[in-house]
Amino acid sequence: MEINVKYFGQFRDFTGKREESLEVADGITVEAIREHVRGIYPKIAAKEQVLVAVNGNFGSLDQVINESDKVAFFPPVSGG
Amino acid sequence: MIKIQHEDIDVETVLESVKSPSSGGVVTFLGTVRDNAKGHNVEQMSIEVYEEMVYKQLEAIESEAQKKFGVHKITVVHRYGDLEVGDNIVFIAVAAGHRGEAFDACRYIIDELKQRVPIWKKETTPEGEIWVEGEKHE
Repeated sequence: MEINVKYFGQFRDFTGKREESLEVADGITVEAIREHVRGIYPKIAAKEQVLVAVNGNFGSLDQVINESDKVAFFPPVSGG
Repeated sequence: MIKIQHEDIDVETVLESVKSPSSGGVVTFLGTVRDNAKGHNVEQMSIEVYEEMVYKQLEAIESEAQKKFGVHKITVVHRYGDLEVGDNIVFIAVAAGHRGEAFDACRYIIDELKQRVPIWKKETTPEGEIWVEGEKHE
């Protein structure tokens, strides 16, 4: 299935993209899609913490992602 | 109330909006752009937000603070875009019956914001641009 993912913060510089479509296996989990993205972008893989949001919430690692979900990758936040 | 905006924060208006006859005090936090960080100079700051998620996370934090501390009214305004040294970044105003819960709730909100609200700062320094490293997310 195709999942649309967005990148924020430093990850936009690492990927050179705001968003893209990824072809992933049906029933992929948050943990697995994170590994998938780490596999594509060595600079993301080198970061200690890669946060994943699903529909605006922090996903648990075993959460299953559906095709219509909004998935976002970003480093630890630094607002305030 | 939660607001994400580029334009400057009208602190007076926010303050008036949280006051009520049953509240005995308002505690506020105003975050501003500092001209230095970790030993280097900062000339400008650029703030990026994942807006849809920012609202969701801040609404959750607001409702947690209301439940935990029993405060009356909360407003959080955060800016995005390009800012100069001294500019306002974030303003939190909490009205409560008494000062104790207002201070506690205000502290809770800014601490949680720094942990889980998807906002990122990039500093312009004499040596180039630096993304600010966030605290590790628990």
